Amino acid sequence: MSRARDLPTVGRRNFLKGATLVGAAGLASQVSQAQPTAAPLAHGAPRPNLAAETMPPLPDPVTQTTGGSDFMVDVLKTLDLDYCAISPASMFRGVHEAIVNYGKNVKPELLTCTHEEIAVSMAQGYAKIEGKPMAVMTHGTVGLQHAAMALYNSFCDRVPIYLMVGNIIDANKRAPGGDWVHSAQDPASLVRDFVKWDDQPASLQHFAESAVRAYKIATTPPMAPVMLSLDTELQENPIADAESLRIPKLAKVAPPQGDANAIVETAKLLVAAEHPVLIVDRMVRTQAGMDQLVELAEVLQCPVVDQGGRLNFPTRHPLNHSFRRNTLVAQADVIVGIELNDYWGAVNLYDDRIVRRGRPNYKPSAKMVSIGVRDLFTKANYQEFQRYAELDIAIGGDGEATLLALIEAVKRAVDPSRKSAYEARGKKLAAAKLAQVDQFKSDATIGWDASPITMGRLCAEVYAQVYRDDWSLVGNGIRNEWPLRLWNFDKSYRWNGASGGGGVGYNAPASLGAALANKNHGRLTITINGDGDLMFTPGTLWTAAHHRIPILYVVHNNRAYHQEYMYLQTMANRRARGVENAHIGTTLTDPDIDYAALAKSLGVYGEGPISDPNELAPALARTLAKVRRGEPALIDVVTEPR
Amino acid sequence: MGSVFSRTIAVLAVSGLAVLGALGTLAQSQESSGGDSINGKRVYIAAGCFECHGRVGQGGAYTGPAPVVAKTVLPVEAFVAFLREPPNNMPAYTASVLPDKAALDIYAYLQSLPGPRPPKDIPMLND
Repeated sequence: MSRARDLPTVGRRNFLKGATLVGAAGLASQVSQAQPTAAPLAHGAPRPNLAAETMPPLPDPVTQTTGGSDFMVDVLKTLDLDYCAISPASMFRGVHEAIVNYGKNVKPELLTCTHEEIAVSMAQGYAKIEGKPMAVMTHGTVGLQHAAMALYNSFCDRVPIYLMVGNIIDANKRAPGGDWVHSAQDPASLVRDFVKWDDQPASLQHFAESAVRAYKIATTPPMAPVMLSLDTELQENPIADAESLRIPKLAKVAPPQGDANAIVETAKLLVAAEHPVLIVDRMVRTQAGMDQLVELAEVLQCPVVDQGGRLNFPTRHPLNHSFRRNTLVAQADVIVGIELNDYWGAVNLYDDRIVRRGRPNYKPSAKMVSIGVRDLFTKANYQEFQRYAELDIAIGGDGEATLLALIEAVKRAVDPSRKSAYEARGKKLAAAKLAQVDQFKSDATIGWDASPITMGRLCAEVYAQVYRDDWSLVGNGIRNEWPLRLWNFDKSYRWNGASGGGGVGYNAPASLGAALANKNHGRLTITINGDGDLMFTPGTLWTAAHHRIPILYVVHNNRAYHQEYMYLQTMANRRARGVENAHIGTTLTDPDIDYAALAKSLGVYGEGPISDPNELAPALARTLAKVRRGEPALIDVVTEPR
Repeated sequence: MGSVFSRTIAVLAVSGLAVLGALGTLAQSQESSGGDSINGKRVYIAAGCFECHGRVGQGGAYTGPAPVVAKTVLPVEAFVAFLREPPNNMPAYTASVLPDKAALDIYAYLQSLPGPRPPKDIPMLND
């Protein structure tokens, strides 16, 4: 990604003498209007390069005392950006140099990544744990193209990313080769469908204003990535008018709260309901949000279904009925969805059959309410907004910010005569919860000693070694429900949600970003990483080692892109062709990948492959010992497919 | 997350008679299904059943949960009917790719599996 600079092998004067007519005309426009004008020449006659011959030498200083990027760093330092993830690139070399020298590599501190997708995904995982964005810088065009998938994930996941992209606007200043292929007329057009706002500042003062505005927009619910295109000339040139520059003040936007009347109506529905259910997805940002949701559920003795976009509700709470969603929805008379990514999908059933079909799972008389910011910001092209849900009340407001008002409204509306009915409902729900937990434990025992190792055994073994720590599970394999079945997720940071857009390659780097945030809080970070996902972004491990970020990578090694294997199985069976060829294009065998060796090659402690369940506990203990000492470590576990 | 077992009854109501006809010679109870559990294990793996339900029938996931099938409580007729015309997202196994004999062998294999153990015997499951 080095900037291509084909230096002339001749002296500057000679180079100019050899310039083409077009080049000479271009140069002529730069020189004084007082230069003599050439007389018309006969067709075909040699044209003397009068402009080049007569112009004074261009100023050619070799040092400068200021640079625009120093001011840019001053601005960034006001935005509480602790880190900036990069893959180094010439188009932002000005800011890069300013951060490490002028800015002393502090706030932001640079994180070296081996791919822009890793950089953005790290920022995604970090923001969900830390509650604030990480900056990312990418190369022009190609770097942004690498970053695009992770940006889309972050957009779908409602996560703020503070993205800066190098670009050189003035064609007259671009170096041949690299500058041209790394520049665009409108760089953000590539990602505008999935960033919330973008700008290409034309001056340093413009940058200051847009930089502060970008932060404000990114961190206002619904949160999302923003992008600034940084002109290379603006970054690199001396500051012309330093005295006139100023950095605007940032006032963060208080999250919008739902309409008071609509909240009262919702409260009335909830307190009068016989079978209310709360379904929650990307709601909780802080522990206070989780505590408030618990309070709301306990006041009502109402079941909560946590969809897992964030950790919203403690998994072992008697009112957590996340695995009984369809049963609860089918019997519900009031359904309140809070920050639901897909309301329709939560209350309807869908069958992936030859004739694709969806049908309501709710009673026609059920009242449905949504609370969230999804309705406040929608784009058109990418279809992540999901199917339209028919609702009775739609409250446009941030879920967490609205909860307190809803709790108060519910408390005011509760009829004391209903208290015994609530208690009876709570007891039934608690009994159902206990029965389900017992069933999960029983299911986990099946194949306990089998090889490949079952996911139930793997997750039980990991938990047995970390539950006394202040742990945080920040990534998981596709549809691995065992942690949520068996582990006690009782704090909002115990789980960090998923990718958002389903882009493979998210888990390894997003987990590392989350681990970086957890490191600052002294937490033990664990991620269960699918082998297929890890092979998209294996360079993440080097970044973990280089920046000494403690994290346990448990490789859920089923040696396949297994979800895709199953889809192929479905296609083959529909056509009655058998599944013998379903492995073609879906499996990661021949050769088997040695993830422990991969980790070691990138400076990370590696164990495995572990296929004997009796070897798992001691190997985990050795691996965790490294993590507790502040290092990243990986254990490769050969598992059942699911 | 609905119960596939309860849905099986509905399947049998509409298609079970035809299937039962095809299975006319099959045994009518789990204990005497007549399947070969050793061959059943081979077919269970070869037909990809384990990809969702696990090698020892411990269950797993596809587009939703794939239930535990070790020691399935389904009667053999319902089991085979389910394979032929699953009412959910499970891939259908027609007789052309999974003959009746193979289906019976799979059933015998599932019945031969040990199934769950008491969780109290595994201390870490009680943390």
